[in-house]
Amino acid sequence: MTSEFPHALTGPSSKERRYDRQLRLWAASGQQALEESRVLLVNSDGPWGNQSTGVSGVVGVETLKNLVLPGIGGFTIVDPAVVTEPDLGANFFLEDESLGKSRAEETCRLLKELNPDVEGNSCTKPIAEILQEEPEFLSQHKLILISGPIKRSSLQSLCSAAKTLGIPVLYTRSVGFFSTFSLQLPAVFPIVETHPDPESTQDLRLLGPWPELAVAAASISNLDSLDDHQHGHVPYVLLLLYYLEKWKETHNGNVPSNYKEKSEFREFVRSSARTDNPQGGEENYDEAIAAVLKSLNPFSLRSSTRDIFEMEECSQLTPNSANFWIIVSAVREFHQQHQVLPLPGLLPDMKAQSADYVSLQNIYKTKARKDIAEVTETVRRIESQLGQSASVSDKDIEVFCKNASHIQVIRGRDIPQPDGDAQSLKRLRIELGNDESLISIFLAFQILDIVVTGIQEGKYPEGALDDESLWSSELDRILGVIASDASAPVDDEARNRILEAARELRRTEGGDLHNISSLTGGLVAQEALKVLTRQYVPLDNTCIFNGIRSNSAMYKL
Amino acid sequence: MAAGDRWKYLYKALSKSGPFSDPDWVPGEETIKSLEESKILVIGAGGLGCEILKNLALSGFKDIHVIDMDTIDISNLNRQFLFRHSDIGKPKAEVAAAFVEKRVKGVKITPFVGKIQDKDEDYYLQFKIVVCGLDSIEARRWINSTLVGMVDMDNPESLKPLIDGGTEGFKGQARVILPSLTSCIECQLDMHAPRPAVPLCTIATIPRQPQHCIEWAHQIAWQDKRKDDSFDSDDMEHIGWVYNTALERANEFNISGVTFQMTQGVVKNIIPAIASTNAVIAAATTSEALKIATSCNPFLENYMMYAGEEGVYTYTFEAEKKTDCPVCGSLARKITVNPDVTLEEFIEILGEQPEAQLKKPSLRTEETTLYQRFPPQLEEQTKSNLKLKLRDLVADGQEVAVSDPAYTIDFRFQLIFT
Amino acid sequence: MLKIWSMKQQQQQAENAEGAAGKKKKKVTAAQLRVQRDLQELTLGNTMKMEFPNPDDILNFTLTIDPDEGMYKGGSFNFTFAVNQNFPHDPPKVKCTQKIYHPNIDLEGNVCLNILREDWKPVLNLNAVIVGMQFLFLEPNASDPLNKDAAEDLRQNRDLFKRNVRTSMGGGNVRSIHFDKVLR
Repeated sequence: MTSEFPHALTGPSSKERRYDRQLRLWAASGQQALEESRVLLVNSDGPWGNQSTGVSGVVGVETLKNLVLPGIGGFTIVDPAVVTEPDLGANFFLEDESLGKSRAEETCRLLKELNPDVEGNSCTKPIAEILQEEPEFLSQHKLILISGPIKRSSLQSLCSAAKTLGIPVLYTRSVGFFSTFSLQLPAVFPIVETHPDPESTQDLRLLGPWPELAVAAASISNLDSLDDHQHGHVPYVLLLLYYLEKWKETHNGNVPSNYKEKSEFREFVRSSARTDNPQGGEENYDEAIAAVLKSLNPFSLRSSTRDIFEMEECSQLTPNSANFWIIVSAVREFHQQHQVLPLPGLLPDMKAQSADYVSLQNIYKTKARKDIAEVTETVRRIESQLGQSASVSDKDIEVFCKNASHIQVIRGRDIPQPDGDAQSLKRLRIELGNDESLISIFLAFQILDIVVTGIQEGKYPEGALDDESLWSSELDRILGVIASDASAPVDDEARNRILEAARELRRTEGGDLHNISSLTGGLVAQEALKVLTRQYVPLDNTCIFNGIRSNSAMYKL
Repeated sequence: MAAGDRWKYLYKALSKSGPFSDPDWVPGEETIKSLEESKILVIGAGGLGCEILKNLALSGFKDIHVIDMDTIDISNLNRQFLFRHSDIGKPKAEVAAAFVEKRVKGVKITPFVGKIQDKDEDYYLQFKIVVCGLDSIEARRWINSTLVGMVDMDNPESLKPLIDGGTEGFKGQARVILPSLTSCIECQLDMHAPRPAVPLCTIATIPRQPQHCIEWAHQIAWQDKRKDDSFDSDDMEHIGWVYNTALERANEFNISGVTFQMTQGVVKNIIPAIASTNAVIAAATTSEALKIATSCNPFLENYMMYAGEEGVYTYTFEAEKKTDCPVCGSLARKITVNPDVTLEEFIEILGEQPEAQLKKPSLRTEETTLYQRFPPQLEEQTKSNLKLKLRDLVADGQEVAVSDPAYTIDFRFQLIFT
Repeated sequence: MLKIWSMKQQQQQAENAEGAAGKKKKKVTAAQLRVQRDLQELTLGNTMKMEFPNPDDILNFTLTIDPDEGMYKGGSFNFTFAVNQNFPHDPPKVKCTQKIYHPNIDLEGNVCLNILREDWKPVLNLNAVIVGMQFLFLEPNASDPLNKDAAEDLRQNRDLFKRNVRTSMGGGNVRSIHFDKVLR
């Protein structure tokens, strides 16, 4: 395109303009993943009793709002509740005319107004009934959101069905000024585009230049004879490579390896800068000096990547292995052979003449392409060994190679239950010893779940929602489970902290405040976006928010 | 169920003490009444503002005002949920106010389409709390210094808590400022990283990155070739010209990667924004507003950072007040003077003030340079004021700011005429 | 922590109305206050002069530099300074009002000085900027140019550059570009 034809410019499409501010985060690939996703919201499991209408579902609706706006493909709301007065005081996606109508239908209608590209459905049957009648129902969805507290049995059957199908689940609760949610990911959840801090992904290979880079460094052997202008514009990467060679000449061929040597090397570079100019120094040398400690490190594999290389999924490939593992396996082979990962190929900006920078950048880009080609060849070989025809796309291999140093695999954990596994119980015990921990809020919510289940099953009267002695005895049962493997019972201070948190929950009798539910809906949507786009790193696995102190914490439970 | 049940759960929280409520707090009717009477101002009706308005309306606030000067753009629709495609081009404050008023019955929302600087202290004095959802540091600094300047030690009502939110991508922050009592936005200015800038000479002569080519087209080529058109970043033809010009320059230097999206990003300094982060930060600010307005629970002291790229991370801490803060470091002191003394005599009076024996002060009001000792040209221009009477230079009740090289902080005096 | 409003304080609203009298007046802004201070702390020497077209507006002024040594000796160079309300978070905007031949100042008057852009920090003051500007005339910097031709001349042939500076300052042409006469 040239300026003679300004009208030939086809600007961004209306969709690109609408989504511009988010495409700058997760790009077209993330957007596509969102648009291919349908989200299920189980927003209540029927009323808790005659007086209490049950969970308000505000967290669920607010979460959906934050997913409909960026353009998920569609959503389904399952909610047998009928709209009541208290709903109108807490739920923005209902209006006065909604009173007495189906909450699923009304919230669905008003949410759909937010984005004409998103499809929305509602269902007024309880989820347990739907699961029985339509076995295919869950599998149409890429993510399940559950607004708690709901009946224990419903929660368990949903979570276990989702686990079998490999569908992630987010279980949320929000009462008064507190909220908590947990994410149940599939057994293995790999992430390639983790979006680490760009600084931490810089990989210049200064201590082990490949031949083309070494040749480029050798091309400035006449450094001393360059005029001031040229001398002040040699890219710092080449300067460091050049001075490393000089250093090796006087250090038995070794590069500076510890802090002391690096400091000496830095002084050596500093003393080589020209200072007899108006600026009294050279910017490219300043950049080189600043990079010494950060960039002169031998390549090392992050322990998380090493762990992934050692996972069984990587070493025991089968014809059913996911593409991710085939690429991991190929990259592992690459690493075994070269002791480095494929080069990401990005060169930071640095003081240099345009042409010199571009040619240095090309050396990095070319090497990155070569590494990708090598990995691709291995992938194809593995595929044919497994009897597959090229199912891994070139694009996936390229994205993987560029992000290889920071890939992650999360091992999905179940939605925590009051009687969890020994590991979680131990973690709870340790946390209970810390008076700053938010775990007491989490345990208060676990009591609430038990109380609500009791009411729904007719075991407790509705007044149980604010029955201090009942909550206290349920707490003791939970604490009994937590302490069952331990030598000593949970101490009184910890018990009191949980009772205090429980008192705050009882204050609104299990009802939520719009603000806190809206905030929680923001946090939950954030996790949903990360799960659906497979970008950034989701929660593992429980988050607790305290709206009194405005703080939060994450726990693996 | 009765209509009175609408605010059932909110009112429970306001009618019953919690374990963390202040023991002196009196829950019940009076608290609810005071919440309903709390007039609250929302600055900004964008990504944060839309959420804040919704949250306040559903938190029992009944009298909400909102200021925003902008109109609705298509790129707002991915998060500003009170706006529809058919609203593009309309003023944000009006559309947002009307939507929330319609949806939440019984709330009154008064929009003002304009700049915060259009309003004076009388306007800001009517509110109990100010909540900010802004994307500009300049506007934040302005409202901050205005609210700090309004504090009158004799009148507790003059202290307007400022609750500020901000987001960028998956990150954000919320903070509570009690003007003159706690760390203010000016004290915390170094938490806003300056926009990274590339040397002008790099742009002019040795571009290396696609962004350098875009900056060149925007800042240098435009000035050279289209001097007479004032650049408008919302004009597609202008952006298109910059894009094409940047592409040509990139080709000339073999630089790849100039895209239309990048051109817009560089020229408009676009910050990524999503609905979910706005929801988190807006709700964080509004729950502070609810707690401050009702005392139902302690409020944030005073800063919360949130980052969502890796799990859910928050960090809550107390930012410190700076003693040498140019805004809240020294509040205006009242000084009673005879309006018939000359400026020269007034300067002598300042020299005798026990708290600040000002020897070589320069002085000004917002409108007038009263006397500036240096540079000489300005001294020459202002020295005639020295012989004038205060009444001819300053109005009764007006603020005079004084700098003196002997002090590292500046002073503000409010002149009360006898 | 003070209780911001105890509910019993309503009676104070009456006093409030009275206290608010005379409060309408605008406050001196943080930017104004900072410039007032910065101006007092300037060191101008006899090679620099400032002018304030409107003495009440200290955020907009001009600076004239009359170098008394170096290649630009004898010239008189005018710059406009525009300080915005976001100062000192934002640097001042400085432009040369004359068309001059200088490697670090382009024909539109843009000035390439690191502390006016990438290296600006709020702790820097106007004096730092003025000192930097003065330095540009003592030691024009060929290595980071805005005016590439001038920089090229300075690098390749210092004598030619000096002659071109003299020619341009006298209001002559250099490489068929006409420059403003800036001789005192």
